[in-house]
Amino acid sequence: MTGLVTSAGLAEPLCPRDDLRSGFPYWLDSFRAMLRYDWGRLRQWVGMMVVIQTLMGAGMVLMYGFFYPSITPERALYIATGAPTLALIPLGLVMVPNGVMQDKLQGTFDYVWSLPTRRSAQMLSTFTLYTLMALPGAVLALLIAFWRYGVHLSLSPILLPAVLLCAVMSVTVGYALALAIRNPLVTNVIVNALIFVVLLFSPIVYPASQLPGWLFDVHRVLPFESMAQVMRAGLTTGLATDVGLSFLVLGAWTLAGCAAAAWVVGRRH
Amino acid sequence: MATSDAAGLILPFGTVQRGLRRSLRDYVSMVRWHLAGLRIWLMLLGSVQALSGVGFVLGISLFFRHIPTSAALFVSTGVPVINLVMVGLVFGPQLVASQRTAGSYEYLRTLPISRAVTAAAWYTVCLISGIPAVVVSLVVAQLRYDLPLRISLMIVPAVLLTCLTGTMLGYALGHAVGNPMVTQLVSQMLVFIIFGFAPILYPIQQMPGWLGDLNWWFPFRHMAVVIRAALTSSADPAVPTAYAVIGVWAVVAAALAGWSLGRRP
Repeated sequence: MTGLVTSAGLAEPLCPRDDLRSGFPYWLDSFRAMLRYDWGRLRQWVGMMVVIQTLMGAGMVLMYGFFYPSITPERALYIATGAPTLALIPLGLVMVPNGVMQDKLQGTFDYVWSLPTRRSAQMLSTFTLYTLMALPGAVLALLIAFWRYGVHLSLSPILLPAVLLCAVMSVTVGYALALAIRNPLVTNVIVNALIFVVLLFSPIVYPASQLPGWLFDVHRVLPFESMAQVMRAGLTTGLATDVGLSFLVLGAWTLAGCAAAAWVVGRRH
Repeated sequence: MATSDAAGLILPFGTVQRGLRRSLRDYVSMVRWHLAGLRIWLMLLGSVQALSGVGFVLGISLFFRHIPTSAALFVSTGVPVINLVMVGLVFGPQLVASQRTAGSYEYLRTLPISRAVTAAAWYTVCLISGIPAVVVSLVVAQLRYDLPLRISLMIVPAVLLTCLTGTMLGYALGHAVGNPMVTQLVSQMLVFIIFGFAPILYPIQQMPGWLGDLNWWFPFRHMAVVIRAALTSSADPAVPTAYAVIGVWAVVAAALAGWSLGRRP
């Protein structure tokens, strides 16, 4: 080990290792170390986050039901299959940006950047952990919706990639949003406005055909309807068909989120 | 120095001004203090309130293929309730919480102004920031849905009392709860409850019976009753009870706030 401090003071200047570490094994090492580090920080919040997320998802599912004079089987199916999407959006678009903002304010962010690990490994470890944390809440919200509305779901293998992609998409976009905007206050305003718009004006718990034409077109570009569509394709048969385009939209948003985050992360201060 | 020049005179200790004129002067200066301190915030809050009100009024039609008039009417007459209580109940406690962290809370308490006058000034500010949003939401609702609104004079007491109870609840929450984090959490939970789990934006029959019964004990259901009755000129037999429940909540909340303000820390 070089650079150790002995009783006589600095034995030798803190010099870098002789060999510059690089390559894929080093990246994997970094990733593993960052996973441990991030998990250590997040561990105490995981329980609370899952509870909040489940309550938000399940709460919204129950709440939407109250707005209808009568709940037809079709409406029940739409609301129930919207539940996991409703649980994923607050995590990605509220909790992730809030977490990043906290880290920025407390200086943790700068500290992590100063670590001798690859920044791509740092970023990916955050994405992995948040994505894994998003899943229990989404499943619980779905179970509560299922119990409340008593709908018949038929699961298909498409559900697995659908849930994973939705979770990754919302986490990456939320992360990119928090990174790209410097001012935490602005992020806060955008996040809150986004939630309001998403919950009221997005066809998550009702069919997109009920939207006026222009809003329908807007939602072909935004990721929220696509999220709901691929979830529905995984949970039911016949309600959502032709979801290839939705998967493409979600993939494009994920890539855009990753690219934006990578651009910010790759820049120096 | 002329003794009649009261403004330029620093009164010695032992002379206590009392009476209505003194209270009135305090009231005016406290309203000016709030308006000046919040000037940017108030405009922002007013616009956010109006936008969210309009958003709700317009957004609800997307939930239905053809929105029934009754659903549109319920949302449009429920949104004013939310506009009226939002500033007092949600922004108020957060403001107090931030004043606590910034230290201006202690400063405000040292001012030689009675607690009641301070509360009245804050209530006025809440009214000022809520009423424009109510008007905007109602106008948009009328234009969009062509609702059978017939506004009666009872709108005046309904608006005043609804806003008063919302403000006093927020006042009690902000002052009686010492920890800013708890205040923040409770006020955010209240938003969720007001939008989704109180029969404000939809008829009470659409929620499970037990939840409706539970809501009887809370003021939000009754606020919606009095505002809706005044906006549609309907003779709802629940109105007198509703006024009574809201009034009791206002008194209890004001007493709680007064008690916590009167205590010495």
